Amino acid sequence: MSASQSAVRSRAEAVQVSRTFDWMILFTLFTAVLGGYHIHYMLTGGDWDFWTDWKDRRLWVTVAPIVSITFPAAVQACLWWRYRLPIGATLSVVALMLGEWINRYMNFWGWTYFPVNFVFPSNLIPGAIVLDVILMLGNSMTLTAVVGGLAYGLLFYPGNWPVIAPLHVPVEYNGMMMTLADLQGYHYVRTGTPEYIRMVEKGTLRTFGKDVAPVSAFFSGFVSIIIYFLWHFFGKWFAKTDFISDEAS
Amino acid sequence: MAATTESVKADAAEAPLLNKRNLTLGILLYLVFYSFIRWYEGVYGWSAGLDSFAPEFETYWMNMLYIEIVVEVILFAGINGFLWKTRDRKVMSITPREELRRHFHHWVWLVCYGWAIYWGASYFTEQDGTWHQTIVRDTDFTPSHIIEFYLSYPIYIITGTASFMYAKTRLPTYQEGLHLMYLIAVIGPFMILPNVGLNEWGHTFWFMEELFVAPLHYGFVFFGWAALAIMGVVNTEVMAITKLLKKDLA
Amino acid sequence: MKIIKDKVAKLSFVALLITMTAAMFYAPTASAHGEKSQAAFMRMRTIHWFDLNWSKEEVPVNDTMTISGKFLVFKGWPETVDKPEVSFLNIGIPGPVFIRAGSWIGGQLVPRSVSLELGEVYEFKVLLKARRPGDWHVHSMMNVQGGGPIIGPGKWTTITGSMGDFVNPVTTLTGQTIDLETYNLENTYFWHAVWFAVAFAWLLFWIKRPMFVPRHIAVSTGKASTLISAGDKKIGMVFAVGTMVIVAASMGTTNSKYPVTTPLQAGLLRGMKTYQMPEATVSVKIDDATYRVPGRAMQMTMTVTNNGDTSVRLGEFNTAGVRFLDPEVHEDETAYPDDLLAEEGLTVSDNSPLAPGETRTIEVTASDAAWEVYRLADLIYDPDSRFAGLLFFWDENGSRQLVTVDAPLIPSFI
Repeated sequence: MSASQSAVRSRAEAVQVSRTFDWMILFTLFTAVLGGYHIHYMLTGGDWDFWTDWKDRRLWVTVAPIVSITFPAAVQACLWWRYRLPIGATLSVVALMLGEWINRYMNFWGWTYFPVNFVFPSNLIPGAIVLDVILMLGNSMTLTAVVGGLAYGLLFYPGNWPVIAPLHVPVEYNGMMMTLADLQGYHYVRTGTPEYIRMVEKGTLRTFGKDVAPVSAFFSGFVSIIIYFLWHFFGKWFAKTDFISDEAS
Repeated sequence: MAATTESVKADAAEAPLLNKRNLTLGILLYLVFYSFIRWYEGVYGWSAGLDSFAPEFETYWMNMLYIEIVVEVILFAGINGFLWKTRDRKVMSITPREELRRHFHHWVWLVCYGWAIYWGASYFTEQDGTWHQTIVRDTDFTPSHIIEFYLSYPIYIITGTASFMYAKTRLPTYQEGLHLMYLIAVIGPFMILPNVGLNEWGHTFWFMEELFVAPLHYGFVFFGWAALAIMGVVNTEVMAITKLLKKDLA
Repeated sequence: MKIIKDKVAKLSFVALLITMTAAMFYAPTASAHGEKSQAAFMRMRTIHWFDLNWSKEEVPVNDTMTISGKFLVFKGWPETVDKPEVSFLNIGIPGPVFIRAGSWIGGQLVPRSVSLELGEVYEFKVLLKARRPGDWHVHSMMNVQGGGPIIGPGKWTTITGSMGDFVNPVTTLTGQTIDLETYNLENTYFWHAVWFAVAFAWLLFWIKRPMFVPRHIAVSTGKASTLISAGDKKIGMVFAVGTMVIVAASMGTTNSKYPVTTPLQAGLLRGMKTYQMPEATVSVKIDDATYRVPGRAMQMTMTVTNNGDTSVRLGEFNTAGVRFLDPEVHEDETAYPDDLLAEEGLTVSDNSPLAPGETRTIEVTASDAAWEVYRLADLIYDPDSRFAGLLFFWDENGSRQLVTVDAPLIPSFI
């Protein structure tokens, strides 16, 4: 191979080649992150995300941000430090939510006929945008973890409330009071998910009355800070370009 | 003048840097195949897939399982065997342009890998969650598992190993040794398949209900993280492509 | 070559469209679902369903039907299944083909999990409203935490009509009547569309410019700071502040639009009302029991004592939902599912009336293909080879008595 030889014929071709790679890389990154993130999220917080009668003030609010800040933190660690692209969190979250929406529509509704208003995913976008912007403005992992992580936890519940609130309107049903979300869970029969599997409103925190969601969100934000640090380091590790000796193979 | 004409002719004659046909057909192949699979699930999941003791279950689902396993083993061996057998033994002496072309070809593989991961890890994995609401878990080989575990996972494994094999046998970049993140990006998602053993053992041993966040499933989660190693591959590729383009981009 | 390429592309596209379209319009027919998989000893020794009644065999969409009956929580509950301290009265149907409009145990609505006592009988009823047309196998079912689904007998039911006509009106405590099938759907789509649009705008702002190679060159040559301009930072601020403003404003408007909301309702229901069966005056002792594999029959030798004041006859043996009847004593008039009913399946060596105070040892044979079809014969391969069931005796006045049996079972292969 001659060092003087050029791979491209012109600058214009170089620019075009570089741009074509952009799209191919972006597609692969998007789909691979989608797959990994989705399997992670559905198996660490999925049940809270699948069904409206799991979207409570306490555990959903606590669990969803903690388990979902992972991949955004990791992808940011690669895209920001290596390319100064402040889109790691938004890219991850959009990928996840797109994967979820396709599945909820095509399969939860299209295959097994659960109404979409019962199985739509949680909204993670507001927190992701704030994470990206803070990293861009501060150029600091610590700042993003502390301020961004906390914001990520705090924004989750209000970011979902406009969609969830209508389902928390109470209804009297055969002599018992429940929310419309509870009623959805009761009406639309799930053979594999009996009611006792639901992890909602457990523990004594619910005796706090109306202040449960803010307490949960604040705690979630606090843990999200720690998880952000951890996963930012994971991200840096996964972004490595090292080779290991193949002699042993 | 004459020289320029010659060079233009040579350009026209040589293969394009990016074979767009391969890229399009690759993406379409998965899309069309999985659309067909989704249709099959829709029809035969309901009519033959709810009771694993029924004879029609054997016809439409168990036979599908047997066929897919055989085809997958053949495809895995065939594709990887072919890539290894036709490897470039003088890979370090190719021209920069040929190297660039191969990087593009490698990215066609990687695009397909990402695409296959999407279908396997996202589409068919979460789909399983809803199918378990229609049946009482009565076999390890429920229709959604026959598609998820034994079809969509092997397909991304085959695509991933082929992609790795292509890079290792045809690209100078990967001659230094074994690219750690590439290995993780291929082997991690691969390990999800053996982890099915834990899943089925646990579901049979402890409980038959469908709690997605049960710790029993964390093996899948751990190996799912390996998809992030695609970032290491991206970085290595960007560095390699930068080397080829840098002076022309400046 | 080009023509072939075009053709391939065209055909693939057509194939894609066809499969996508076909996927939307498949025929809704279904097989039974999974009840046979459960270990026979588990089905025989946990929940015994009896007096079951499916009110209809054909239901138009939007119409209702009920499944009612009783279940006995068996005293000899097996060790491998957790006790039913947290249980949920479910319904075994393939997804929401019906909606569960109501379910009651002992007259109490049970939308939540309940605690059941061993040895007690409970009366239940489930009200179903037809939603998706097709032929469906409808089972009674009890989920037990730590034990899984315990599925009862199933009967084929046909739903006719069109799912498009299904409505699910509910009146809230704030006075509105909504259709729960589509309620809040537009609002959900709207807010998710808004947030996707914001996210795509942010992504587009960055990916419309050259990304990986040029930015890598800049970062690796120490010019990273040139990649983020003051303008970028301003736009970033707009996105972050805009996000927080949208979140705060939408939360505010939501709260004023829905001033009354309550938390999800959860928690175990205890103290379920039991059903008092008439006191049994007959006592039964199983002397031995064998299952003859070639004859698909179970033979029991039992000593029966009548402590009552009228004579009795054995009319039915019921185990795991399969009913073996002696037609001379009792005939089914409830249209119980054929495959679970052996109308002449019970043979008793001497089934003449057992007089008050009399003790008699009898040979009872329960034989039917259901042993194989419902895989109850697999009991002989189970790790806890005991069988159990309900015996029903009738006295001269037509009154019924229930006696439970629970004993080891010896297989016979010849």
